[in-house]
Amino acid sequence: MAGLIIAVPVFVTLIAGLVNGGGDAWSHIRDTLLVGYTGGTLGMLALTGIMILITAVPAAWLVTMYQFPGRGVFEWLLILPLAAPGYVLAYAYADLMGLMGPFQVAIRDVTGLSARDYWFPDMRNLPGLAFVLTCALYPYVYLTARAAFVSQSVCALEAARSLGASSFRRFWQVALPAARPAIAAGLALALMEAAADYGAAEYLGVPTLTFGIVRAWQSFGEPAAAARLALVLVAIVIGLILAERYTRGRAGSQQSSTRWRTVSRARLPLGAGLAASALCGLIFLVAFVLPVSRLVWLVMESRDSIAPIGRALFNTLILAGSGAALAFVLALVIALTVRQSGLVAGFARLMASTGYAIPGAVLALGALIVMGQLGLTLTGAGAIFALAWVYASRFTTSGAEPMVAALGRAPASMGYAAESLGASPLRRAVSVDLPVALSGAMAGALILFVESLKELPATLMLRPFNWDTLSVRANAYATDERLAAAALPSLLITLAGLLPVILLSWRLSRSRPGDAE
Amino acid sequence: MKWYTPLAAAVAFVAACGGPTEEPSEPAAVAPEATAPAEPAGVLNVYSARHYDSDKEMYRKFEEETGIRVRFRESGTAELLEAMKNEGDNSPADVILSSDAGTLYRFMDAGLMQPVDSDVLSERIPEHFRDPEGHWFGLAKRLRVIVYDPDRVQPDQVDEYADLASAAFEGEVCMRSSTNIYNLSLMGELVDRLGEETAAAWARSVVANFARQPQGGDTTQIEAIAAGQCSVALVNHYYWVRMTQGSDTQRNTVEKTMLSFPQQDSWGTHVNVTGAGVAANAPHKEAAIQFIEWLSGEEGQFLLTTETKEIPLVEGAEMPVGLERLPSDFKESVFPLNTLGENQARAQAIYDRAGWN
Repeated sequence: MAGLIIAVPVFVTLIAGLVNGGGDAWSHIRDTLLVGYTGGTLGMLALTGIMILITAVPAAWLVTMYQFPGRGVFEWLLILPLAAPGYVLAYAYADLMGLMGPFQVAIRDVTGLSARDYWFPDMRNLPGLAFVLTCALYPYVYLTARAAFVSQSVCALEAARSLGASSFRRFWQVALPAARPAIAAGLALALMEAAADYGAAEYLGVPTLTFGIVRAWQSFGEPAAAARLALVLVAIVIGLILAERYTRGRAGSQQSSTRWRTVSRARLPLGAGLAASALCGLIFLVAFVLPVSRLVWLVMESRDSIAPIGRALFNTLILAGSGAALAFVLALVIALTVRQSGLVAGFARLMASTGYAIPGAVLALGALIVMGQLGLTLTGAGAIFALAWVYASRFTTSGAEPMVAALGRAPASMGYAAESLGASPLRRAVSVDLPVALSGAMAGALILFVESLKELPATLMLRPFNWDTLSVRANAYATDERLAAAALPSLLITLAGLLPVILLSWRLSRSRPGDAE
Repeated sequence: MKWYTPLAAAVAFVAACGGPTEEPSEPAAVAPEATAPAEPAGVLNVYSARHYDSDKEMYRKFEEETGIRVRFRESGTAELLEAMKNEGDNSPADVILSSDAGTLYRFMDAGLMQPVDSDVLSERIPEHFRDPEGHWFGLAKRLRVIVYDPDRVQPDQVDEYADLASAAFEGEVCMRSSTNIYNLSLMGELVDRLGEETAAAWARSVVANFARQPQGGDTTQIEAIAAGQCSVALVNHYYWVRMTQGSDTQRNTVEKTMLSFPQQDSWGTHVNVTGAGVAANAPHKEAAIQFIEWLSGEEGQFLLTTETKEIPLVEGAEMPVGLERLPSDFKESVFPLNTLGENQARAQAIYDRAGWN
């Protein structure tokens, strides 16, 4: 049931894409725009993927294997950029690096050159988009790679060392291949998020499929054409999942020694140590400090004329709150049935993770089509419900995860004890598993709320009239060239996003197998 | 719609708070679609696609003079349109206020406006600035003009829209996205005057002249010219005028550029309007007409344009500060504005095929 609730928007969209003709707009989109959209999404994914790997993997390797100045701090600082959604970073960077941004103005003032006389990196193109998304999403790979390096058998590395392998060779030929499945999993997650991005691509003017879906619905008023584009996007996402599975499958037997030994971090010589600090510092500076301080500066500069956002804040709390509440109930159901290996429970879990992989724009489209079929209109309660449904569909998995983890930590004997005392499965679920699962509930609810609050495309498409959320306001102000006004809601979103990230890093620092500091 | 669970009931309760913002009176929650309307006589619901602070002053002034309470919703065009379609017969909207004739047409085309017969409006507003059947009335003018770098470009090089396609401007043209309504409406006129083939060729040549991919809004184009990235662009006149009245940085920027009013020797510069119409199911039709007539009066014209720097449309109205920077006399295109809306999809298709993002 929970799985069905989650899955309906996806399948409705897919079926609509396959069955409906697509309308007049479709032939135009197919002939003139489809190649550009698809190329934009694929190019963005490829470039973002490469940039994430060369940022996140070395950073994870450094903080796990070596001791250098500031290592302990960087270990968790490097997770923080996860707090800011891609579109917020896009606003900040487009302004920072733009023609009227501080760097270019300084160049022109100092040299007296005009803009055509020098080259400066442009954010408003595909590489710019990939850069911004890398900043926002590299922590996924950093986290999984770090976890893989930490839990890797040290013996294999020491064997390599004793055979005379250089530290680079140990990384490249021993640690990296063993960590590959984890890195691939992190990368798949990051790229699913990248494929779902609407705000950054729209603002930086890069046509992607997600952008095309929203536009087909908004400008052409053609849900059918949008559903066709959604088919292509979903195919790409499925490709990502299959690629990840393939990597995992082949890497099955690589961890031959499972003996546990504490990681002893090699202390880097001073020069190399400072270089490592500088690299980690640079990543954190570029991905977080620089854009966020630009937003703070914009807010401070225009604090007298800042647009009021009290109502947007209220709307956000209600909408994200409704979404989180619905998703929470579904997540709880999934968590409590996770021990059951039956077909139904497995189906629910599969559906929930499918929802996570599907971009919000696609789910919103499905909800729109369902509402249309039922003759419901996008006003008032109906719209709020539709949006909560889409939030739940997309984020339930991430909310269920902490609860499943909490259940996993509880000893199985608790359940056996309940059974041997004659408790029915229902009674067991309610009086044994539920209290345990709820210990992960805080984290789950927080994640659900913040993910809903950051969501842009589905919120844009489904929110009830006059119900602008922080993300919608930020997007509207930014596209309206009122960046100073966009800065405040953007900062609030980032601030809210910091909460689960800090919680996450706290949990990480507590649960580190084999790590003796 | 029936709701059974407590959660849904809570959601429904909250949704009832989603009515129009009530300003400048107390911003209390009003829900015309959820509660039975027990409204006092003298209420007006405005759906506006504009968002200027001076509009709030405008509503307040109208309230003060007429005793009619104004409640307004401001939102993007697409959202307003979608919302009104969804609300159907129950829509509380009385007046639709929008800043583009192409947009007004979309409301009319969707059957969301009703024809109005007003002697005041027919007398004050020139015929080509209103719908022949009275679905909507233009209230302020906005001109799509060429902005250029006087150090690199001579005025006579930019006296026609066609000049932007000239090979002389290779790598010199900055533009905003073609999905923007101003560009769509301009193409709506060009395709009618030049024919589809010539208009499409124009778009292709302009794209070939791009200094950079389309980005930002009109202000961004002015900044790009001031910074020297390109030397010609299209903007609406009021963005330029607002910068002349803005911060020091903005003034320094805008003074490096100049405006040219194209087509002076032919059909005249492309004009669009901010306009208003009475909603098809307006619960307060009389008040709605009164409001639009008031907007065409002395005070309404002033408040409508003083911050936006649009050009008052009614003869003899006071000019906003800053407009003295524009030429005092220029030729405007006389063109049936509904055509801009009719041609919108065609215009987008032409731009898309030309590769104008």
